[in-house]
Amino acid sequence: MGDIGRGLVAIGAGLAVLTGMMTGLGQGYVAGKAVEAVGRNPEAENKIRSMLILGAAIAETCAIYGMLIAFLLIFVFN
Amino acid sequence: MLNNSDKVISLQIEVFSIIIITSVLLLFLFLIGRAIKKSDPLAKPKGLVLIGMIYYQMMSGLTKDNMGAKAAVKFAPYIATLALYMAVSNLLGLLGFNQPTGNYSVTLALALITFVLIQYTKIKVNGFGGYAKGFFEPFPPFVIMNVFGTLAPLISMSLRLFGNITSGGTIMMLVYIFTEWLSGFIPLIGGFNFIGIVVAPALHAYFDVFSGLIQTYIFIMLTTIFIGNELPQE
Repeated sequence: MGDIGRGLVAIGAGLAVLTGMMTGLGQGYVAGKAVEAVGRNPEAENKIRSMLILGAAIAETCAIYGMLIAFLLIFVFN
Repeated sequence: MLNNSDKVISLQIEVFSIIIITSVLLLFLFLIGRAIKKSDPLAKPKGLVLIGMIYYQMMSGLTKDNMGAKAAVKFAPYIATLALYMAVSNLLGLLGFNQPTGNYSVTLALALITFVLIQYTKIKVNGFGGYAKGFFEPFPPFVIMNVFGTLAPLISMSLRLFGNITSGGTIMMLVYIFTEWLSGFIPLIGGFNFIGIVVAPALHAYFDVFSGLIQTYIFIMLTTIFIGNELPQE
């Protein structure tokens, strides 16, 4: 693979990691809603915390997919 | 590019980690089982018996919350086994082994078991006619979407676990390479990776312990929720 090809692979990997952008928005939304829920209903804090972590981790999946594709691009097409 | 010219039948390195995990878990569970058999049911539980009881209560409570008490009796052993195996194999990265869950074959197999259980429950509840008819709901052209919707949990669950563990392992590898290069500039200690020792523990705590346990929790939660959705409401 020539120099241009390797450069294109690097650009592709960089673009794949951009999935993290929307994931950040989603996780922020989840955290904000959790804060609202605790403010409205402080007794349920423990349950809300576990659901917050679950929701945030599921939202993170999207970013992980992008990262996986970036790793595949870098390590397979090198 | 990957070199496909010299294909040989070889063992992947995760096979050894799997053998180690299974033998250690077998020994541990055997010891717990022997302790439970020996123990006095009326006395206060302690030691290994207590650990087993706490774990059983935790897992059956979690299963009961999502599936209802009747199905929990049937599914709790599977959930508990899955959680134990996955938690131990995710934490194995701390000891420097290759995590079995960092191999896509392993996560695909784990997700496949869950997938088969979901379909089995669906068929058992609706009958095979109802199951086949469910693909053509609400009207026939939806069959494409329904097939993809059925296959989606298999792909998303296996890739989620695999991606998390693999990315953690790769980042740790990059950190070690980078810190080794960086500590080459420090005089006197020379090739000794001094900076890595300072930086790595926090990252290990996040990528191996936190991320691994959270992914285990998510996997078993999703398994119970998906199977619980197919069960009839009590």
